[in-house]
Amino acid sequence: MEILLAIILGGLFGFALYLVGASNPKKLLSMLRLQDLSLMKIIVFGIGFSSVLLSIAIALGIFNISHLSIKSTHLGVVVGGLIFGFGFGSVGTCPGTCVAATGTNGIRKAIAAVIGGLVGAFAFSLTYGFWKNTGLFKAMDLGKLTLFNISDKFPSVFEIGYLGLLIVGILLMVVAYAIPLRGRKNKVN
Amino acid sequence: MKSKNWIAKALVLGTVFFLAALIVKPVGVSTQFSVLSGIVHSTIDPDVISEDNSRESGYRSSNAYYDKSEGKLAKDIKNPLNYDFIFVLAIPVGAYIAYMVTKKRNKKELDDTLELHEIPEIPKLPKQKQNLAKLYLPSFIGGFLLLYGARMADGCTSGHMMSGIMQGSVSGYIFAAAVFAVAIPTAIIIGMRHNSKGGAK
Repeated sequence: MEILLAIILGGLFGFALYLVGASNPKKLLSMLRLQDLSLMKIIVFGIGFSSVLLSIAIALGIFNISHLSIKSTHLGVVVGGLIFGFGFGSVGTCPGTCVAATGTNGIRKAIAAVIGGLVGAFAFSLTYGFWKNTGLFKAMDLGKLTLFNISDKFPSVFEIGYLGLLIVGILLMVVAYAIPLRGRKNKVN
Repeated sequence: MKSKNWIAKALVLGTVFFLAALIVKPVGVSTQFSVLSGIVHSTIDPDVISEDNSRESGYRSSNAYYDKSEGKLAKDIKNPLNYDFIFVLAIPVGAYIAYMVTKKRNKKELDDTLELHEIPEIPKLPKQKQNLAKLYLPSFIGGFLLLYGARMADGCTSGHMMSGIMQGSVSGYIFAAAVFAVAIPTAIIIGMRHNSKGGAK
């Protein structure tokens, strides 16, 4: 059952990534160059919409709170994000989208990125002990901090529960709507 | 570029994030890169992960990363037929279906992709074919940086940004800020260099 759900939901995720154009590095790069912002609008709106749905599901009591997966905040998130940004900005793909792209006509570069990713993940596995000893994951350690208290398991900043997710979700959708489709002008394309 | 249907696409994307979290768990991808590379690692060096019944996961590893959180990753490496791993394997299948379904309709848009052999009128093709390393090495290095960074941050665009922000996780916002602070200038600078060389990316 679990495997069947994995196939269905993973398939849906891949379908959605292709549908919105996120599996196309060219689209991601023109978003990052702030030229064609349509993908930015879609992703921000999508996250906002999912947040609204989540808050409604929690309010209705149909959401199993143990499904939440909150990640720890620490300096590693910042440093890792900066390294990630170099890769993202230079080739216009991310771990999920390059996997998705192996199912499309961008397969060759996608496979090169996936193999690079496997080597990168392996390199991290080998160097994790080193980073741990530097205290990277202990610095700026806020634990599994959430903005709103939707589960007692995690510390939170604001005590307004799922209402917070609803507000943020609507805000993200408004922001997405306001982002212009076209950004900076550039001679590319 | 389509300007009208971006909301429809966003609704599909948002619904998928939500459904995954509602039915099983929020989407996440990058951990599975560690699992797959760990499978290869433990095949070549079987001693890296050993069974340990005193632990809940049942495994321990000489590698500190696989051993983290009571050997959770070590367990996933030894038993990869689980939800998270299959989820990631199913992603290209869904993308392929979407590709086939929309192929005819969006033929023109698809020509925008980087796969140059789809665009016969580009005269640069023979030159690039000669230089396979030049064509694929950037993707390889990019992939390396993406996953090295994602594992350090314990999540990628999917887990931190999409799922994280959906759930109001502070880590998601911090990760997004760090990523875009570097990715936007990097993409712009590389784009300008391509332009000045006269190369159409």
